[in-house]
Amino acid sequence: MRPSRRNAVQLLLGTVTVLLASVLVFLYIKSSTDQTAHYTQSRDLIRQMQQLNAQWDSEVLKARIALTQNYDPLVAPLTEITRLWAELQGHASYHDPQDLPRWQAGLEAGEVALEEKARLVDQFKSHNAVLRNSLAFLPTAEDDIQAQFNRLGDEGRMQLQSVATDTYDLLLSSLEFAQVASDDRAAEILLGLNLLAVNKEQMPAEFHVPVDILSNHIALIVREQPVVNSLLERIATVPVAERLDDLTTHLNQDQQASDLIEQKYHHYLLVFSTLLVAMLLYLAIRLLRSFAEVNRVNRALHAINTNLEQRVEERTRQLKDAQSELLDSARQAGMAEIATNVLHNVGNVLNSVNISADLVARKLRTSKALGLGKAMQLINEHPDDLGTYLREDEKGKLLPGYLNQLVEAIAVEQQGLTDELAQLSKSVDHIKDIVSTQQSYAGVSSVLEPLHISALMEDALRMNSGALSRHHVTVVKEYAEVPEIMADKHRLLLIMVNLISNAKYAMSNLSNRPRQITLSIKTVEGNLLQISVKDDGEGIPAENMARIFTHGFTTRKEGHGFGLHSCALAAIEMNGRLTAHSDGPGQGALFTLQIPFNEAAGQA
Amino acid sequence: MSRTPSRSLCLSPQALGLVITLGCTAVMAAPLNEPLKPLPPEPALDRATVELGRQLFNEKRLSVNGSLSCASCHQLATGGADNKPFSLGFDGKPVRVNTPTVFNASLNFKQFWDGRATTLEAQIEQVVISPAEMGSDWKTVIDNLAAMPQYQAAFTQVYPDGVTAANVKNALATYERTLLTPNSRFDQYLLGNTEILTLEEKYGYQRFKEYGCIACHQGVNIGGNMFQKFGVMGDYFKGREPAETDLGRYLVTKDEEDRNVFKVPSLRNVAVTAPYFHNASAKTLEEAVDVMFTFQLGRIPSQEDKDRIVKFLKTLTGEWAGKPL
Repeated sequence: MRPSRRNAVQLLLGTVTVLLASVLVFLYIKSSTDQTAHYTQSRDLIRQMQQLNAQWDSEVLKARIALTQNYDPLVAPLTEITRLWAELQGHASYHDPQDLPRWQAGLEAGEVALEEKARLVDQFKSHNAVLRNSLAFLPTAEDDIQAQFNRLGDEGRMQLQSVATDTYDLLLSSLEFAQVASDDRAAEILLGLNLLAVNKEQMPAEFHVPVDILSNHIALIVREQPVVNSLLERIATVPVAERLDDLTTHLNQDQQASDLIEQKYHHYLLVFSTLLVAMLLYLAIRLLRSFAEVNRVNRALHAINTNLEQRVEERTRQLKDAQSELLDSARQAGMAEIATNVLHNVGNVLNSVNISADLVARKLRTSKALGLGKAMQLINEHPDDLGTYLREDEKGKLLPGYLNQLVEAIAVEQQGLTDELAQLSKSVDHIKDIVSTQQSYAGVSSVLEPLHISALMEDALRMNSGALSRHHVTVVKEYAEVPEIMADKHRLLLIMVNLISNAKYAMSNLSNRPRQITLSIKTVEGNLLQISVKDDGEGIPAENMARIFTHGFTTRKEGHGFGLHSCALAAIEMNGRLTAHSDGPGQGALFTLQIPFNEAAGQA
Repeated sequence: MSRTPSRSLCLSPQALGLVITLGCTAVMAAPLNEPLKPLPPEPALDRATVELGRQLFNEKRLSVNGSLSCASCHQLATGGADNKPFSLGFDGKPVRVNTPTVFNASLNFKQFWDGRATTLEAQIEQVVISPAEMGSDWKTVIDNLAAMPQYQAAFTQVYPDGVTAANVKNALATYERTLLTPNSRFDQYLLGNTEILTLEEKYGYQRFKEYGCIACHQGVNIGGNMFQKFGVMGDYFKGREPAETDLGRYLVTKDEEDRNVFKVPSLRNVAVTAPYFHNASAKTLEEAVDVMFTFQLGRIPSQEDKDRIVKFLKTLTGEWAGKPL
């Protein structure tokens, strides 16, 4: 529910951002399409074409007055204009679509004008070339005729003087005609040509060819000069420049219109940007505020955290103190328990010591040795006549027999005392054993030493023996053959004593069946020593199973919850583990210790 | 006049050196200012495109039956045309006008005798689809070319859109722009090496100008920049068997003004491109010069002058692939 709502918010935010950005981009594009450059380029192209057009015109005029004989310059401008024209047509994309037909029409009109001018210029080239050629040749042609005249004798020359003059006039008229081509002059020249044709007949044959050539060329001039003139006029009237101007005007108008639109969008952009900036400012302020808030909360949290840490430290320290106190008390309690055991065991043995001592005392009190004193008294009463007394006196005669009996009795008695004293000293040894055993376990040793596990188990039993016999507990021993191993005697014994003690306690409320502890020792998986203590006692409820080894857990009123915990710790310290199993309340319990072992033989 | 020596006395040594240097340069290489212009240098064009154009120029698949390539009629080794009066079309029948040279064609202001094509591309277009020449159509041409992997690769390398009619034409036109014949003796003369021409040839050039040949044959291509009526000073076609092609540009414009009007052909390599005129009516250069004198110039030259002009015309032969044509 919450993540989906967060997603929705994020989606909304993203959409709004994209929307704002696209509006901005849209306005920016609309307001700065930089069409100015396009218009400038197009106008530049048109301007170039106008220049070329003017250049073209001037080349036409140069050709007209025969300044140049090379007609390439009359071709080049058209080629260049055609190229620029194609480029201009490629530029059309930015025009207002509504205005496009007008622009196209303008372009078409321009093309028509250009084609017309090109056609006329081509014609001009053709006609002008031959016209210029003939005009240039005219003086030479006339010279040829004059040369023929000069070749004639004076008589002939006089005869043809008028013809020569007419020819010369015709030449001059033609040259004038080339400057000012009027119909009158044309008529005049035609008249002259006719006259020349008439005169030719009068002239000698050698004149005919040069006169014909001259006539032909003059006729060509008369024919071509008006054509060239009219072509020049027509070229001048072809409105190429005007069409180009029209296009420029159109571009200007178009640009003004697009500038207006651009300005409009520029305004929009400005307003929109202002709005955006305002929004950004607002958001920035909000951000700053929330940042401050976050900082404040952060500091507070930090303070609380520090405080908490201090408290945790303090509490930890307290807990540690409590634990060490508990440990101390547990140790004391353990020692007290052990001491109780020891004292109880010692007490048991002392009982037999007491009995033995009583027995010896009673035997000494009723000793037959007292009879020896009486016999000696009888002997002492008869120091002089001892022989007589022994032989004569009735009492004296009985005395040796009595002494013999006494000796036997004393021997028996002595035997009994010796036996009893041996028993006594054994008991004392036992006490010494118990005490020394206790003393040997009291120290905290973690050294490994060779051990017989079964002997160790016996020691543990012996330490508990008083309590066990007091509670009438039967011990079943299932000891497998286990080699002598290297192990931590103190820890093992601690665990065993505790487990046996626990088993005993577990069965203290048992009255309907015999109390029985089963101790077993065996090896599993080759290198694991498994020691288990099983009882038929109250069992462990499932809910307690999990925390049975935790520190402070106990089910006993006087318990301190330390025993099993320390056992488990000890097991872990020996790289082993202590596990408990119970089928439930009233079903008894099985505690199993597993530790890895090394054979003592291997160590030696 | 009297001032000049006194001035030259004032020249500093440096200025004198400058004058000498300039003088030397002028002697060595100053181009002559003549109505005829030397060939421009070969344009720098994309090599791959030019190579593709070269392959296409020799590609017979451009014709409908695979019999003709551009090079079939425009033989580069022999003047850029063939020596036949009329080249044979794809069907073996002669075409209707004499084949002009492909050399320096890019310098002509229009293409074909009647100038009906303004660009080389348009000229190529018409030859390929002409029923008398290659007789093909663009779809066939494109299919044929596109079927060949080497063309696919070459086209794709040069043009993003691969084999198209426009690209075929562009490649061919690009190649044709490189078909210039530089280094003719006359060009060397124009570029300032005035010693390269013999006296007779120089006279020939002089006569060429004096008699008015120069009126039409001028500029960089020595012709090829204007139209002119064939028969300015007399009816050339009178007494000849009439042919439709004699109408010249009239066939294009239907303008009476354009009757018998043709593009003035370039005179470059003229000595190696016989026969002459649109109808191949002149078999030799002398014959052609005679026709020009009679019908275009209306002049009667001396035999000596004609010989000189012919000698001059032979100096216009340039080089192709480093060898004189």
